[in-house]
Amino acid sequence: MTAPLLEIRQLYKSYQKAQGIFGRKTIQALSDISFSLYPGQTLAIVGETGSGKSTLAKLLVGIETPDSGEILLEGEAVTISDHKKYNHVIRYIFQDPARSLNPHQRVGQMLEDVLRYSTDLNEQQRQQKIHQTLAQLGLMEEHAAYYPHMFSGGQLQRVALARALIMDPKLLILDEALTALDPSLRAQIVNLLLELQKTTGLSYLLITNHLRLVRHISDSMLVLHQGKALDYGPTNHVFAHPQHDYSRKLINSAQS
Amino acid sequence: MILLDIKNMTIELETPEGLIRAVDKVNLTIREGEIRGLVGESGSGKSLIAKAIVGVLNKRWHITADRFSWAGQDLLRLSYEEQRKIIGRDIAMIYQEPSRSMDPTAPILDQLLEAIPDSELESRWWGRPFERRKKAIALLHKVGIRDHQAILNSYPYQLPEGVCQKIMIAMAIAKKPKLLIADEPTTALESTTQAQLFRLLASFNQLKGMSILLISHELETVARNTQTLSVLYCGQLVEAGETAAILKSPFHPYTDALIKSVPEFQPQLASKQPLYALHGSIPTLQHLPIGCRLGPRCPNARKECVKTPVLERLQNHYFSCHFPLQGKKT
Ligand SMILES: Nc1ncnc2c1ncn2[C@@H]1O[C@H](COP(=O)(O)OP(=O)(O)O)[C@@H](O)[C@H]1O
Ligand code: SF4
Ligand SMILES: [Mg+2]
Repeated sequence: MTAPLLEIRQLYKSYQKAQGIFGRKTIQALSDISFSLYPGQTLAIVGETGSGKSTLAKLLVGIETPDSGEILLEGEAVTISDHKKYNHVIRYIFQDPARSLNPHQRVGQMLEDVLRYSTDLNEQQRQQKIHQTLAQLGLMEEHAAYYPHMFSGGQLQRVALARALIMDPKLLILDEALTALDPSLRAQIVNLLLELQKTTGLSYLLITNHLRLVRHISDSMLVLHQGKALDYGPTNHVFAHPQHDYSRKLINSAQS
Repeated sequence: MILLDIKNMTIELETPEGLIRAVDKVNLTIREGEIRGLVGESGSGKSLIAKAIVGVLNKRWHITADRFSWAGQDLLRLSYEEQRKIIGRDIAMIYQEPSRSMDPTAPILDQLLEAIPDSELESRWWGRPFERRKKAIALLHKVGIRDHQAILNSYPYQLPEGVCQKIMIAMAIAKKPKLLIADEPTTALESTTQAQLFRLLASFNQLKGMSILLISHELETVARNTQTLSVLYCGQLVEAGETAAILKSPFHPYTDALIKSVPEFQPQLASKQPLYALHGSIPTLQHLPIGCRLGPRCPNARKECVKTPVLERLQNHYFSCHFPLQGKKT
C-alpha cells in the first residue's frame, strides 16, 4: 500500500479558559486523535459544534500548535516554521466563498498574487497557469477580468476552488464548503470535485457537521465528539456498524 | 377541511425599471392537520410567499391573487386590518435564525410571557401574572426543555441555536395556531438537533392537529417530514401533490433533477459516481427568461416553452410543463 499523504498521530490540544475572577479551566479540545489520509482518497471528519473540528483544522493549517502529537505530511513532521512550504500542499475552502474573496480585486489579479507570492513562475507562465486553472474549473478566460460580485453563487464557489487549486495542492480541506449549497449547485460542485480527484489524485479532508454526502463522496470517516475520536474506518463500515451511541444517533438523525 | 386556499398569487417588486415578478401565479392549499413541504433553491420565492401569507411584506411589494381564503372565509373581501386579525390569530411563523428573530435585550421569560395571548388565560386579573408564568413554563416543557429555571432568565445570545429554535416554537404555539409556517427552521442547526425538532413538530401535528407548512431548500429534509409537497423554481410552481407520489414519479423536469441530485434517493448509484446535475444556474430576478423559467436549463425544452405552461392536473398531482415526463402523450 502507498504511504499516507497526511498522518496524524496522537494529537492533543487544550485551551485555558478564564473562569470567575481568578479561576482557570482547562478545556481539552482534542485528545488522542490519530488518522491517516491516502493520496486520491477522501476522509470525512464529522462532528457537531464544539466537537473539536475547528481546532483540528487550525492545527492542520498551522494557526495553532498541538500540545503533543505529530502531524506528518508525506512522511515528514510538519512544524509551524514550514508554513510557506506546506501551504503549497494543503489548501482550504470555506463555507462562504463570497466572504473569503476580496471584492475590489479582479479574479485574474487575485490568482496572479497567489502565484507571485508562492511560486517562481515568470509572468508568462503565471498567465498560462491562470488560464489553465480557470478552464479546469469550467470557467472562461474572460472571467479573469471579472470582480467577485459579477459571478453567480455557483461560479463564486468555482473561483474559490480555482484559488485553492492553482497551487497544485495535494490536499484540499473542505470546511463545511458543501453544506449550505443549493441542490443543483451542490451536485455540480460535487461532480467537479470527484472529477478532479480522479484526474489529479487530489485528496480531500471533508470537515462537516452533516452526514449528507459523506456516504457518497468519502472513502473513510471519523466521528469526533467532545474532542475524542469515536468511530473511525471505511465509510460503509462505520455506517453499517457504528460502535458508539453517539455515532449511531448521528447516523440515525441523517436518515430519519 | 381546507384551511388555506391560495390561487394565482403573484408577488411583484417595485424597481426603477418597473415591476419585477418574483412570484408568478402560485397556487397553495393546506388542509387541516396536513404537513406540506415547500421546496425550492434559495431565491425561488419561498420566504416571499410565507411573508405574503402572514402579511409582513412592505409597500414595495405588490401582492395579487385570484383567491386567498382561510377556513372557507374569503380574505380578499376583508380590509387589511381584518385580514391581519384573522391571520394573526390562527397562523404562527418561525424563521431560519431563531436568535436573530428574538429580542436580544429581553430575557426568555419576558418574551414567553408576551407571547401568551390574554384569551388563553382563565384567572381573574389578580391571578393572571401567576397563571401566565405557569403557562410559560408549561410551554417550555412542551418543547422538550426540562430545565426551565436555567432558561427563563437567560438572554437569547447565551443559548445555543437549537434551544432558541425550541423557544421560538414554544412562543409560536402559545396562541394555539391552526397553521405553523416554518421557514427553514433547522437550516442553522446541527443534525441531531434537527432530528429532534422535526420530531417535536410532528408531535404537535399529531397531538393538536396543527397544520404545518415546512419550507426548505433541501428536498431530503422535506421529503422525510411531509405528506404533501409543492416545488418552486424561480418563483413558479412547477409541481405539487403527495410527497411519496412525486418522489416516485415526478412529472416536471426540475423536480426530476432535484430528486436525482440527492445521492440518498439514488440507491443504485455507486459511491463517488457523478450526480445528476442541471447545467447553468438559477437566473437572477433581473434576468428572468420568458415563458417557462426553467427553459434555458431544461434538457427537454422545445420552442413551445417560451410560452408559460399552465398548471395541469392529473388526479391529485399538479404540474406545469409542456412536456411532462409522464402521464401525457406528447
Ligand atoms: N427586500 C428585497 N429586495 C429585493 N429583492 C428581494 C428582496 N427580498 C427578496 N428578494 C428577491 O426575491 C426573490 C425571492 O426571494 P425569497 O423569497 O427570499 O427566496 P427564498 O426564500 O426561496 O430563498 C429572490 O430573487 C430575492 O433576491
Ligand atoms: S415547459 Fe419546457 S422548458 Fe419548462 S420544464 Fe417543461 S419541457 Fe422544460
Ligand atoms: Mg428563504
